[in-house]
Amino acid sequence: MEPIIEIQKLSKTFGSGDGRVAALQDVSVQIQPGEIFGIIGLSGAGKSTLVRCINLLERPDEGRVLFHGRDLTELKPKQLRMQRRKISMIFQSFNLLDQRTSLDNICFPLELAGVSRKDARKRAMELLETVGLPDKASAYPVQLSGGQKQRIAIARALASDPEVLLCDEATSALDPKTTDSILKLLQRINRERGITVIIITHQMSVIEQICNRVAILDSGVVAEIGPVESVFSNPQSKAGRRLVSPDVAQPVTHWEIPTARIAFNAAMTEEPVIAMLAADKGICVSILGADTRNVSGKAFGTMLISLPEDVAQRKIVLDYLNAHEGVSAEEVTEDV
Amino acid sequence: MFDLFSDPAKVAQQLEIITSEYGFAVWETLYALALEVIFAYVIGLPAGVLLVTGEKEGIHPLPGWLMKLLNAVINLLRSVPFLILMIIVLPLSKVLVGTKVGTVATIPPMVIAAFPLVARMVETSLREVDHGVIEAAQSMGASTWQIVTKVMLPEATPSLISGGTITLGTILGYGAMAGIIGGGGLGKMAINYGYYNFKFIVMWAAVIGLILLVQIFQSAGTKIAASCDKRLKNRS
Ligand SMILES: Nc1ncnc2c1ncn2[C@@H]1O[C@H](COP(=O)(O)OP(=O)(O)OP(=O)(O)O)[C@@H](O)[C@H]1O
Ligand SMILES: [Mg+2]
Repeated sequence: MEPIIEIQKLSKTFGSGDGRVAALQDVSVQIQPGEIFGIIGLSGAGKSTLVRCINLLERPDEGRVLFHGRDLTELKPKQLRMQRRKISMIFQSFNLLDQRTSLDNICFPLELAGVSRKDARKRAMELLETVGLPDKASAYPVQLSGGQKQRIAIARALASDPEVLLCDEATSALDPKTTDSILKLLQRINRERGITVIIITHQMSVIEQICNRVAILDSGVVAEIGPVESVFSNPQSKAGRRLVSPDVAQPVTHWEIPTARIAFNAAMTEEPVIAMLAADKGICVSILGADTRNVSGKAFGTMLISLPEDVAQRKIVLDYLNAHEGVSAEEVTEDV
Repeated sequence: MFDLFSDPAKVAQQLEIITSEYGFAVWETLYALALEVIFAYVIGLPAGVLLVTGEKEGIHPLPGWLMKLLNAVINLLRSVPFLILMIIVLPLSKVLVGTKVGTVATIPPMVIAAFPLVARMVETSLREVDHGVIEAAQSMGASTWQIVTKVMLPEATPSLISGGTITLGTILGYGAMAGIIGGGGLGKMAINYGYYNFKFIVMWAAVIGLILLVQIFQSAGTKIAASCDKRLKNRS
């Protein structure tokens, strides 16, 4: 399938001289139509910069952003404005117009597009219905809770009938329960309207809950990209491991013994592999750390074990573990 | 100066002046004020908008030299004392309104003195608008003009009204000074009768009138600004 959005070799640097920050370096990502794509990374990783480059709120220094195969960076201002109506955005701080009612906030993008007042209000009422706040039409933002404000912002984002919805930390200012309901709403919008959703977050739980694929951004570089299940159950990159299992990742640097990291796909591994290792091979290992996660309803585990000093025995352990379905083990050196 | 009422004949004469001229003076004050405020905003509002939108990080950056020039002109006009500015600019009145005397002649210098103030007030108000909201509008494909007219100005309205109230007070003060060069109104009354003719009752009446006007504008402005601000939770 042709990607709906294709980010090609994007680079962006802020400042100059000593204050130079390479916010994005050679970032390439393809987003498929209809998917919910997550971008995760630590604070300052460049997530916001990346998502702002998609609708060109930020101009990249290098690289291209293709929307339906069309390079947005080459469009004239007027053409770009037309395309932006097809790529809506919601924000952590909601960014509603304080001096307008909920209804008029939702009418705003329609007003920009020159839709008549009557039609705009009709559509806005429908959207209020969609986001579950039909009784808040005449409320001003100050009279709404954070979750309600985000719902209005979502309704406003949907008003122009977009194909893509960009969400920059859309749930970061909300409590877990409200976050949950907003994510469900985004999921429903994705299913019912076929809108492609791109979610920026630093919360793993957000990605786990609704994303199909995820990209891990680390210091302006895409460290890893793939289906959420595989990335989160068995991250290949250092950044990925640090993000997925920070507890398991941290202590290792201090231990000067050979260690291995084991990833379990618990759906397939019912066997007590560590105990079996001792029984079958007569090699005992100690568990240095463990962590389990729930990704889309399936349990995934990561474990750190000590390895024998002897190199040959080490290989026996790793081969034994890797022979089990749903288990992957590898020796780790220095940092996890 | 404090012995206002010792001579009944003088008191009667001054009261006579007040009853016959006060009403017209108030009207003249308000009429000049209205024209000055309108023209000051006609020039100052766009200038203030440009100061915000045209800067390097603004929504529609203009050439650096143009912004520098605009800022320099505004600062220059703001730093010349009003009385001096008025005298320098008065010849321009001959060109613009055909006369160098009277109330109408004082309007051009007043506008030239007041629009830089308006521009700075507008600039300050617009800068208070949350950048995130402007960015949201940009993400929806709003043009610069739409952002100015549909986001920045409406969102800044309460602040613009507060600024307008301050501007009104200042222009009223300038108007009183314009009495020196023949601008009509309460200011002229205070200066002509009080300062030049020792009719202090007239002077005080005129001064009190000016004070009352400022008070009325100030409280009305504050009320209107508050009543149109939808960010205030406990609206009636
Ligand atoms: N306008 C700017 N001027 C200068 N530096 C900037 C600017 N915007 C971002 N940066 C820098 O670029 C880097 C990436 O910032 P960005 O906001 O994209 O990070 P982020 O991943 O969104 O972080 P967070 O999770 O805290 O929102 C940071 O080091 C930041 O300081
Ligand atoms: Mg961010």
